[in-house]
Amino acid sequence: MVHERRLKPDRSLGGLVVFLIIAGTFGLSALLFGIITSFYILGGLFCVYGLYQLVVFLRMGNLAHLVPMAFLFYLGIMFFLAPYFGEIAESDLNYRIAWFTGILVFDTLLIYVALITKKVKWRGREIFELAAEPVEETGDGYTPRPRPVGRVEFTQREILEFARFIASHLVAIAYVNHKKVTFTPVKMGDEFKQFLRLYRPNEEATWINFDFEGDVSVHISHKDYLDYREPLAFDKLCQSMGQLFVNFFELHQRGEGIRIIDRLDAVGLSFFS
Amino acid sequence: MDFKTAAQISFYLAKDYAEDIFKLLVNYQAVSASEVATRLNLHIKTAQDFLEGLAELGILSKKEVFEKKRPYFHYILEQERIVIDIDLKQIKRQPTNDLLSQKIREREHAGARFSVSRSDDYITSVTIWTGDTRNRQERKIKLTTPQGMFLYHLPFPKAEPLSIAQIMAKADVDEKLAPEILDMVQLLEKYKVIESLPDNKNKS
Repeated sequence: MVHERRLKPDRSLGGLVVFLIIAGTFGLSALLFGIITSFYILGGLFCVYGLYQLVVFLRMGNLAHLVPMAFLFYLGIMFFLAPYFGEIAESDLNYRIAWFTGILVFDTLLIYVALITKKVKWRGREIFELAAEPVEETGDGYTPRPRPVGRVEFTQREILEFARFIASHLVAIAYVNHKKVTFTPVKMGDEFKQFLRLYRPNEEATWINFDFEGDVSVHISHKDYLDYREPLAFDKLCQSMGQLFVNFFELHQRGEGIRIIDRLDAVGLSFFS
Repeated sequence: MDFKTAAQISFYLAKDYAEDIFKLLVNYQAVSASEVATRLNLHIKTAQDFLEGLAELGILSKKEVFEKKRPYFHYILEQERIVIDIDLKQIKRQPTNDLLSQKIREREHAGARFSVSRSDDYITSVTIWTGDTRNRQERKIKLTTPQGMFLYHLPFPKAEPLSIAQIMAKADVDEKLAPEILDMVQLLEKYKVIESLPDNKNKS
């Protein structure tokens, strides 16, 4: 099934920003402090980024994030060791072998979790594409108000399990409090902005609420709405977004959570968007 | 008595010198403005305005007198009791079927900001901006919980409009609270946040 793209092409640099910062800092520190110190700084930066991946794993329960975490820690350690074993010290065969095997193992794993299974991909764009799929009408009608979309029967345990599933597959960040569960879909590159919000989504974020009484409501941010190629009928879009999550919940309730991932994969977006 | 008349009477009764003027009116058969002014050490215009106001309200009557160069008025007390009795039900908005069946929705590009409660299930306030450039002013309207619940269920711009009664039912707002809902709807219509649509134009 071919999906007609409803979102504008992703041209954001969000995902590259971290690597650009690391590369820039490495270059600048080499100039200012010399190559040895810059290797320590580079190693430190990779370890910090590795820590971020660990936090994503802990917060979202996404096991696949352990792969980039391990890779980044590995890079960090190797750059810490570079001044002692690498080319700039004296050539060491063990060090070269460690580099070669490490890169081989981690690249294989990264290709698997990122490009093949997309297990470390934030699925926000897929969610917005799927929400827009049944919306044929255009005509704007944007409002910042949330829209109630209906009621669903569930127990607190069921919705919390669903929240864990959605979070662990990076479909959305789940915020749980004593009254409701709020899902915030996150697009690749936007994760840093949303992820640091621990208790409540950003004011500007799109969210889908399931309160413990069963009411479901949706708010789509203006920024996300403008990301669509056409001014889709906003009322229908909100309804569709809410219904999408209700459908996902029902699939999960029936023990068919994997179908949610199949639907997201079927959208056919690349890992980087 | 209507609210406006009661407010006018209260305005005169609230004056510092009101009791003194009424003492004169009760004890004298008729008084002129200049007699009141000189007796109570008031400006003649103050006394004149007070007596004229009461005459317009029917508490005093006035009679033109021609005994001097210029004619003037004598004021005579007509009512020995002033009773302010306001039936507040008169100003209560009665939720008629016509009003409740009015179809409404949010106006497109209303430019209002809606603040949502922490529980995300009702609107707590609406902020509206009026005027242009230097005259631009912000007006924040705090809503009661039923009003907030109603507004939360208001159809979006360009969506199918619903009647006020339907929205109240959807929002689970008691019919008894219709007057406060109507008040808010009328206010937000005035500020062009809500639009009402006649039945035949529902599909726009």
